[in-house]
Amino acid sequence: MAGSSNPIMNAVNKLLDWIKSLFWKEEMELTLVGLQYSGKTTFVNVISSEKFSEDMIPTVGFNMRKITKGNVTIKMWDIGGQPRFRSMWERYCRGVNAIVYMVDAADKEKIEPARNELHTLLDKPQLAGIPVLVLGNKRDLPEALDEKAIIDQMNLGAIQDREICCFSISCKEKENIDITLQWLIGHAKSH
Amino acid sequence: MYARKDRKDDDDSAQGGNKWSGERSSVLQEARVFNKSPLDPKKCSQVLTKLLYLLNQGEKLSAAEATDTFFAMTRLFQSSDVMLRRLVYLGIKELASTANDVIIVTSSLTKDMTGKEQLYRAPAIRALCKIADAGTLQAVERYMKQAIVDKNGSVASGALVSCLHLLNQGCADIVRRWPNEVQEALNSDDAMVQYHALGLLYQIRMNDKLAVSKLISKYTKYNVKSPYALCLLIKLTCKMIEDEGYGTDCPMFNFVESCLRHKNEMVVYEAAHCIVNMKSTGPSEAGRAVAVLQLFLSSPKAMLRFAAVRTLNRVACNHPKIVMSCNIDLEQLISGTNRSIATLAITTLLKTASNESSVERLMKQIESFMTEISDEFKVVVVESIQSLCEKFPNKQGTMMGFLAKMLREDGGFEYKKAIVDTIIDIIHSNEDKMEIGLGHLCEFIEDCEHTSLAVKILSLLATKGPKTKNPSKYVRFIYNRLILENAQVRAASVSALAQIGSECPNLTNNVIVLLERSLMDEDDEVRDRAAYYLKILQKGNTDLFTQLTLSIHGLESALCEYLKSDMSVPFDASQITYEPPVKQAKPAAPLAVPEKKISPGKNVYQEEVLEVPEFAQLGNVFRTMPPIELTEPETEYVVKVVKHIFGEHVVLQFNCTNTVNDQLLENVSVEPVAMNGGWKAVHTIPIKKLGYQETASCFVCFQQPDLLDGAYNSGFTNTLKFTVKDCDPTTGEPDDNDGYPDEYVLEVFEVSLSDFIQKVANVDFVNSWEELGPENELEDTFVLSAYSSLQQAIEKIQDFLGMHACERSDQVPEGKQTHVLILAGTFVNGGRILVRARLAHDPTMTQGVTMNMTVRSNDESLPELILTSLA
Repeated sequence: MAGSSNPIMNAVNKLLDWIKSLFWKEEMELTLVGLQYSGKTTFVNVISSEKFSEDMIPTVGFNMRKITKGNVTIKMWDIGGQPRFRSMWERYCRGVNAIVYMVDAADKEKIEPARNELHTLLDKPQLAGIPVLVLGNKRDLPEALDEKAIIDQMNLGAIQDREICCFSISCKEKENIDITLQWLIGHAKSH
Repeated sequence: MYARKDRKDDDDSAQGGNKWSGERSSVLQEARVFNKSPLDPKKCSQVLTKLLYLLNQGEKLSAAEATDTFFAMTRLFQSSDVMLRRLVYLGIKELASTANDVIIVTSSLTKDMTGKEQLYRAPAIRALCKIADAGTLQAVERYMKQAIVDKNGSVASGALVSCLHLLNQGCADIVRRWPNEVQEALNSDDAMVQYHALGLLYQIRMNDKLAVSKLISKYTKYNVKSPYALCLLIKLTCKMIEDEGYGTDCPMFNFVESCLRHKNEMVVYEAAHCIVNMKSTGPSEAGRAVAVLQLFLSSPKAMLRFAAVRTLNRVACNHPKIVMSCNIDLEQLISGTNRSIATLAITTLLKTASNESSVERLMKQIESFMTEISDEFKVVVVESIQSLCEKFPNKQGTMMGFLAKMLREDGGFEYKKAIVDTIIDIIHSNEDKMEIGLGHLCEFIEDCEHTSLAVKILSLLATKGPKTKNPSKYVRFIYNRLILENAQVRAASVSALAQIGSECPNLTNNVIVLLERSLMDEDDEVRDRAAYYLKILQKGNTDLFTQLTLSIHGLESALCEYLKSDMSVPFDASQITYEPPVKQAKPAAPLAVPEKKISPGKNVYQEEVLEVPEFAQLGNVFRTMPPIELTEPETEYVVKVVKHIFGEHVVLQFNCTNTVNDQLLENVSVEPVAMNGGWKAVHTIPIKKLGYQETASCFVCFQQPDLLDGAYNSGFTNTLKFTVKDCDPTTGEPDDNDGYPDEYVLEVFEVSLSDFIQKVANVDFVNSWEELGPENELEDTFVLSAYSSLQQAIEKIQDFLGMHACERSDQVPEGKQTHVLILAGTFVNGGRILVRARLAHDPTMTQGVTMNMTVRSNDESLPELILTSLA
């Protein structure tokens, strides 16, 4: 507590930060959006190697998390998916390395609003060119859509002006989390 | 003083406004640094500090600016710099009310308030409560409950204080669900937590008298350690004793008294302060409290000396004999270096001074340091002189000289106003001193920078001047103003001259000559007035200054109508109709009903009733009583009654507020039924429409009962009657149906004899008593068995008759068994009433107080009325 106000400790901390930066060169910023209950906060927990939990409370606003993978530090803005927060997504997407859009692949009724929200978001001129990763979560559930169905039903083919990718994952079973991470870290370099 | 301060502030903001408006846009520009990556915590802290400084200087951001800044600021949550994060909390609190969508930080704040970093927790709670609405609060309820009972004192205090704010933010229902946690916090060892918990617990239960009484009796027995909490408890206890009318022998009072022996000075002071200020305190209890304050007077700590002398100063009028016991200590303080303490000490001594020689000596001492003290304290001195004048009419000459000297010295508006008011008081009460007083005031307006005071004095000269031996002297003074002053003063001078001219026939011609010169004045108002008065004076019309009894609004709208017509017929003043001013519906605030702002004084209600045309012919208002609430707070309909006493009528004004958001009330009226048969309602004016959160008044006018019936005292039972129409809570549009009639029973209130009697201060009782003579005199003897002390009996008699106690005869010296109370008043019909009551009380007897009362009046029926109503 007291360390932060002590000038000597401050200097030492700064020195440590500088030495660290020699090794952990890369830093990236991501924004995680999508409708409520699609599993955004769960995804953050899973990639920061915490336990999977069924019992989550809705995110009111946003959570800010920093995760270190290999030599990359990922700053993750996890924004609530309730309708009242959707107008604010854009504010947190400006200037990030990539936008991660989470979709509940097992909830067929939500696919249409999810598609509309995604296209509305990507139509914002401020966000032009930012790569998008669409994740179809909950593939462990029986009726979950696969990648092809998601690409088709989310109308991802219509998005031509940027890099776009889609994975089908399961946070519960930790399926395809590694390829997702690889994709994300791959986009740190462009910064 | 205040005026001067205001002027200074204005200057500051005028200069500051320019200086900071430049800074403001650059700071908002700089706030872009929040969006940079990687973040520079030090730079961000600096910018945020500047921003907070600006906001605290009163700089207002537009909603768009605030929202942009707010969202940029939320990006600072990525930094783990402790200082920066704490600045962010402050920023959130400042911008919470102006920025949109502030709810976005809820999750982050919740995380911080429950996290490991202790320095984040309390400020995060405070910030969270600023942005929370009922919905979000419900989601974090669990964490709030935990925070209230947290081991860390700052976290618990933060949570408790936030709850206090939430109570007023429409989240009262949720906070009320946490009494167990608050109770637990009350047992905390942390002094601050205990204090805040007690404050919150009281706020939660405030409207439930029984619960408050339980709370107080529980914690007065329980050993509360925190001195802050104890102080609050003392305050609450005293309020309870006062409100419920408990005597000084109840256990609650014993608790307050026991606090006089506490080891903490703050607690001791609070207890003493509360005891001496309570109405129910008798001389012996007050004596013990004053003894404690006396000890403080010789304390080495200036703060304690100041607090003690200030309290003594306030209560010197109520307990002069007791405060007198501190005289020696007070005398010593006069010579001290702290002038604030010295002034208060000397004015306290003046208030308690028992003989005229000591007054003279003290006045000399004050004079010696008048130049060294600030205006605020000079006003205190003037106020004490005012009360001295009332007490020692013989000293008014000396005082007048002293006041005149002060008037000549430098000083701000408030100070000068206090002096002028005091001199005017003396002029009104003492015929002999009138000319000297007028002379001083004339001298003052020769060089007076305060327009309002000059106008006031000019109007006084106009009314008093003609009554003096040589009114022409004042004509000269007034005419000087007419040459030298600004337009407002000139206009007042014209009116004053005209009044003197009309009342003194030998001066009329001279005044006409003077007024003719003002016909060429450069100001419209002055010219108009001069022309108007000239015309009247030349016609020889003497009833120049009869008052206008028309409704001003009605007259204005009638004149406007007349101007629109072709003006072929002359304007007829008797055709004036009344149209109520359009009341705008207040913007719907969430839940809480906005209390109507009432400026101090009676005039708000008086103006309202005088605007009603039906009442315009009732004449002037004799008295207007303060409002009485007829409903509990937080009921569906809030009703207050204001009693207006007219010459022959009583108008009851019922102020009704509708707090039901889905109802529109129509044809709202209150039906008061007098329990005494002498009262007859002659006129009722209902409210046509009363929407949600609107307040309006309905009126009922009563003919006053016959003077000889003695029926002035009467209780009134009241029913609120109205037609309910259900309506849409959002738009306030009523549904199509016709609605249904409904009733609501209100509480009972009383009209009493004292409402019809005006206090008359500054009476020379002995002379007036002789003057009235024994023609209309009645005498009777009563046994007042309900009272156990003279003081108590005197207070009740005063309450009942509503008359002024002359020569401070309402104070009974301690230990005396007999006392003479003398009272003066004017009845509503203009009759003067003087009362002399001899009281006797033998403490060894249980019979109560024996009273022999003699009443004299210039109206033969009044003495009988008073005595019969007492019986």
